[in-house]
Amino acid sequence: MTDSEYDVVVIGGGSTGTAVARDCAMRGLKTLLLERDDIASATVGTCAGMISSGLKYSDEPDIMAMCSKEVVHFNHIACHIIMKNPILAPLLELSDAASDSSYVDSYSAHAEERDVPAMLFLTPEASREIEPMLHPDIIASVYYEEFFIDPFRLCMLQALDAINHGATVRTYCEVIGFDINNNTELEGIIFYNRVSGTTERVSTKLVINATGPWAHKIAKLADEELDIRLNKGAHVILDRRVVNVGITVKAIDGRWIYLFPHENTTLLGTTALDTWEDPDSLVASFDEIEYLLQSIETILPSIRETRIIRTMAGVRPLVPEWKRPEGKVTRGYRIIDHSETGKTKGLISFTGGKLVMCRHMAEAVTDLVCKKLGKAAACTTHTQALPGNDADVDVAALSKDFGISLHALERMRARRGTEMLKVLELTKEHPEWKTTICTCEPVIEAEMRYAIREEFPQTLNDLRRRLRLGTGPCQGTFCTYKAAAILSEELDLGGDDFLVDILDFRAERWKGIRQSMRGEQLAQEELTLGMYSCVGNLDQSDVDYDIKPWEEGF
Amino acid sequence: MKLKSDILVIGGGMAGLVAGIIAAESGATTLLLRKGQSATAYSSGAIDIIGYLPEATEPFSAPSEGLAAIAGLYPLHPYGVVGYGDNVAPEEVVDTIIERVRDSVVWLKDRLEGTIASVVGDFQSNFSPISILGTTKPTCLVQTTMNPGDIHEREDSVLLFAGITGYPDFNPSSASKTYLEDRIAMGQPPHKVGFCMTKIMPFGKSFNISSIEIARHLDHKGSIETLAEQIDVQVKRIGATHVAIPPVLGIRHALKSKLELEKAIGAEVFELLGFPPSIPGLRLQLALEEVYTKAGGKLLAGHEAISSSRKGKTINSILARSPRREISIDTKAIILATGKYIGGGIAGNENGIRETVFDIMTVTGEYHSAKDIVPSRVTHRLEISPMGQQIQTCGLSIDPQFRPIREDGLEWAENVFAAGAVLAGYNYSVEKSGLGVALTSGYGAAMNAVDRIKGVA
Amino acid sequence: MNEDEAYEYVKSTLKKEMITPYHSDELTIVSSVSRCINCGLCINHCPVVAAIGVDRFSGPRSIAVELSRSPPEYWSTADKIYLCTGCGTCKEVCPKNVDIPEIVNLIRARIFEHRPDLVPKGFMLVNEIITEHGLAFEPWADKEEKEESRDMRLEHLGLPFIPDIVKEKADVLFYPGCQAEERAQEVREAAKVILDLFGVDFTLLNEFSCCSLPSRLMGNEIKARELAKRLKNKIKKLGVSKVVTTCAGCTSNLADLAERDDWGIPTYHLLEFLAEEIGYARLTQALKGKRLSESVHISVHDPCHLIRHTSRRIMDYAMDILALIPGVKVTASEAHDSCCGGGGMVSYHSKDVADAVVKENLIALEETGAERLVTPCPLCTAQIESNLFKSGSSIEVDDLTVFLAQKLIKE
Repeated sequence: MTDSEYDVVVIGGGSTGTAVARDCAMRGLKTLLLERDDIASATVGTCAGMISSGLKYSDEPDIMAMCSKEVVHFNHIACHIIMKNPILAPLLELSDAASDSSYVDSYSAHAEERDVPAMLFLTPEASREIEPMLHPDIIASVYYEEFFIDPFRLCMLQALDAINHGATVRTYCEVIGFDINNNTELEGIIFYNRVSGTTERVSTKLVINATGPWAHKIAKLADEELDIRLNKGAHVILDRRVVNVGITVKAIDGRWIYLFPHENTTLLGTTALDTWEDPDSLVASFDEIEYLLQSIETILPSIRETRIIRTMAGVRPLVPEWKRPEGKVTRGYRIIDHSETGKTKGLISFTGGKLVMCRHMAEAVTDLVCKKLGKAAACTTHTQALPGNDADVDVAALSKDFGISLHALERMRARRGTEMLKVLELTKEHPEWKTTICTCEPVIEAEMRYAIREEFPQTLNDLRRRLRLGTGPCQGTFCTYKAAAILSEELDLGGDDFLVDILDFRAERWKGIRQSMRGEQLAQEELTLGMYSCVGNLDQSDVDYDIKPWEEGF
Repeated sequence: MKLKSDILVIGGGMAGLVAGIIAAESGATTLLLRKGQSATAYSSGAIDIIGYLPEATEPFSAPSEGLAAIAGLYPLHPYGVVGYGDNVAPEEVVDTIIERVRDSVVWLKDRLEGTIASVVGDFQSNFSPISILGTTKPTCLVQTTMNPGDIHEREDSVLLFAGITGYPDFNPSSASKTYLEDRIAMGQPPHKVGFCMTKIMPFGKSFNISSIEIARHLDHKGSIETLAEQIDVQVKRIGATHVAIPPVLGIRHALKSKLELEKAIGAEVFELLGFPPSIPGLRLQLALEEVYTKAGGKLLAGHEAISSSRKGKTINSILARSPRREISIDTKAIILATGKYIGGGIAGNENGIRETVFDIMTVTGEYHSAKDIVPSRVTHRLEISPMGQQIQTCGLSIDPQFRPIREDGLEWAENVFAAGAVLAGYNYSVEKSGLGVALTSGYGAAMNAVDRIKGVA
Repeated sequence: MNEDEAYEYVKSTLKKEMITPYHSDELTIVSSVSRCINCGLCINHCPVVAAIGVDRFSGPRSIAVELSRSPPEYWSTADKIYLCTGCGTCKEVCPKNVDIPEIVNLIRARIFEHRPDLVPKGFMLVNEIITEHGLAFEPWADKEEKEESRDMRLEHLGLPFIPDIVKEKADVLFYPGCQAEERAQEVREAAKVILDLFGVDFTLLNEFSCCSLPSRLMGNEIKARELAKRLKNKIKKLGVSKVVTTCAGCTSNLADLAERDDWGIPTYHLLEFLAEEIGYARLTQALKGKRLSESVHISVHDPCHLIRHTSRRIMDYAMDILALIPGVKVTASEAHDSCCGGGGMVSYHSKDVADAVVKENLIALEETGAERLVTPCPLCTAQIESNLFKSGSSIEVDDLTVFLAQKLIKE
């Protein structure tokens, strides 16, 4: 096979697409992954990272069992990017607990395999000791534990592992058509390279459409109909861990919403709105922010005193069930073989699914791929670790050896596990790269350089996904220009591109900041404008800046 | 605890300190209360008067040109208000504005002369100093250490950007590319630009170095020679006529360092406009504080005004709080110079925008009440554009004496004057007018306060 | 599991995850640090950054936007968080008044609880002394030796000895603080001389105990709360109406405790007490006619716990009072944002850092040309004195209380 011939092309660099590429590559298939933007740049990047026990899906016992098993697998293959959150569900009235108590038993049934306790009940006094912000009138709370993964790193590690096993991963390549022969067999795939501005074609035997909320659009390119239900979910993000444990509560419409410590922030989410909008243009609305705040306020009355740094919104690609609220739609996934539902042979699509199932989805579709290609190879994605998971890292010793702050290294460990040693190696030749670039997370220059060289980012936003660059309280106010300069150096960009990178990154941050602007974020924005507009004069810059989808209309 | 003053200034940035200096120089006992430092201490070293009209893309070549445009288009802009008064005829308004702004610029230049933040430039024209990004912006005055000289006029000028290894705030490679592309596009000199790295190691390390460490280090005797040696080689390499370095030449002795460097390498040296935490901002803050205390003003740091008591149409005392004490301050006049969101004079949440010390009515840039606005709705989808963010124009509306007004258009109190970023109606980051408005309004508010004290006495 | 067992289980899980729930009285501190906009003004003013650079001490802004965001990771701040001297300069210059000194204490408390192995060894020694004696310094083994030392000091300074008084229902409790109680006894004695001179109805504690600040600074929150409670009980039992101290650290800490624990009585530094309760008129009167043997040129060091943790007005009082003394010339030092380096217990584990911090002050002090430095805090006095001595300087250091007592009694 030549470089333009593949066994399988996976479209989509989200959690599912990268998992499929990894599985295919590990089973010896010649695999190409095509992503329109960047790895984890859409739906998965806007989730809370919970690899859910399936607690909310007690009507679907099989799915709960599957979720639980997948949590065990993740803890086995990616423990370095996983954190456990204790969670309280405080109750203000007994009816809160009584109305759907079935989950207590079904959650508890699988608890042991995940090494967490069965659901517990706590007194109001104990609850308020654990979380003093709780409303004084709560009557009890339910306690349970869930695991959380860094969704960006998960996708990145799956993609890197796919590459390690021989796959090719290409970002900024947007699929624009398929070659389908007269026998309705898919033979090739045509895509537009957004970096070079050229159109390319490769031959392939099979295409896996893992494009989430765009799945129906991709299917359409092959003239196939695909039903999908798109559902918008928004989060509000707080600047730090303001709660000691996760908190869940029923919102005004009876849905469960949550406040979860996540990395070094807190996430308040989520909403669920059926949507027909272009996912690229969506932002959180005032209503969504209020829905979340008002609902969490019922048990955390002082929540508005905390600092909101931004919002994020994404689109869930649900299985198309009509006349059901979002919460009642199955959380299972469907594999659609278009040769069965339509006519195109060689195109397989996904709908539905959850972050926690991405490996399972990949396994199932790769089984099907292998069957179609007549390849006998067993799945090993649940037994073979992702890069960095190998063993514990002694960050204290590394901090002493390399003369780098302990906290910076602990944060790096949480992203990279044992792979962090490769980053630190760079500082031996370049001690100046020990310099902190993002002061909030923090991120040091060596990790930026390493990520630029090894993890194929094209923009500062891509770097953010790999490093959490600019995701802290200042939202990149102080790292945007420093990081842009380093990216420029590594990619040998021109002066205009340096400024475009700054403007692009600011635009993406502003997309989330603007919706929830209040409190100190007004001061933060005054500062940002003071720097980039007043001093840098970038508001008057005539560089070639492309208006983003959410900025259009002006 | 108790205190007394004729004039009480709340806020210690440019507007507050200018007002305090005027008040103290007039002989009034002046007390300046400051809860923390402000946006002035972040400033880049440039003192903008007016660079652009809001939403416009052509810079003004001179402040007077911009002021005239403002007077015509935005009569309620703080610069517009400068032109009003009982004895100003309508046709004299524009000239009055220009004259009063010029007066305050001349006054400031004079007061800063000989301090660590002395400035160059004059009211006649704007010029274009270079930022650490390699971009340029129109401004009126810059600190003497930041004077780019004849770089843009001299046909044979060659600029060298000198960075410092392990100092992340300035990357000379990106800045030089940006700057050169811009000059080529404009077809103007310099036609040749280069960059180099130098090593300055305040604590013996070449990583994680901050501006303040370098500035302190260069303040020490002898440290400038090492830098000069390194730059000299690079100047010779590319034949540089000018050298741009980040704004870290020193705190107390930056000007001396500049002159020493120039002497050693035979090229003009200037600091670039930089971002916070800013050394030029620190120099300006310290210089203004020194001028203020020398004029006899009393600075009370670490105290926040938390409440006030009113007697008829005047506010006659303020309660101030320090971390663990409270002080009651009796006063005859108050100048409110508390800044905007950074300074904390104006605060906002999802329910509206409010003034934080007295709860005086706030307005938007269009002079509608800002009491109930949702901040995100007064923003633009583009973060960085000439349209700016309207939310940054919210603040207090004032009468011609710089007194904040109520909904009925009358002054909120007879003896409360306001100045600086707490005022509504200007968008300093897009207009490039921040310190200029602070200066002019601080100057004007204090003049009015002094008149009142003298009248009362 | 019943609810109690469940709670025990959850507590053990939290312990494993290194989460100590925020106390309700800590929530204002957390919300204060949330206000940081990362501007870095504090970096320009932090005396520790000035002394050792941001690579070694990443500075107040990093504490706010980086180090304090995630409690389970607080342990990993141990290489930075103990270097803060708690001077409060950052908080004072901060446009948002972010409460860095308090979040530092909170983080230290979490490390103390979850990773005692990372707490500096020097702290543990002090911790043992506090636990054993209720004092921050090892008390004198021999009471007579302690008295001899006291008498020698008094004789050297030319101060009379006023016997200790312990009684209920006095107007004022004089609280000298551990340093003056055990080490700088002359400060304790000088304060008694002054109080006695003005006829103040005062008492001492029956048995002195620490105000709890050192325990808070090292992170032993449990011990700190226990000491605070002990002190409150003693004060309540005495039935005084005011507390007066001569220690800057005690001044700010007693103010905190009085508010947090509802003491219902005001606390003063002696300088405040003299300015506000005795009044400049009586002070002037008392200083009148005292013929000073010679004029003296002094400079004044402002203790962080007075100017930044309490109020700058207290040092205005100090200057006012010094101006009342005939023959005293004061030259202000040019050292901005100064700290003696002795705060935050930094000298207990990183003496080089504490000494580097004070160094800036010493240079500025030499430039004043003053022959003597006075400061109203026995801890600052000790820190500066030992560093001046090491540097071979001829400048002498006095606690302001001692300096004032000498002037008041001098014939």
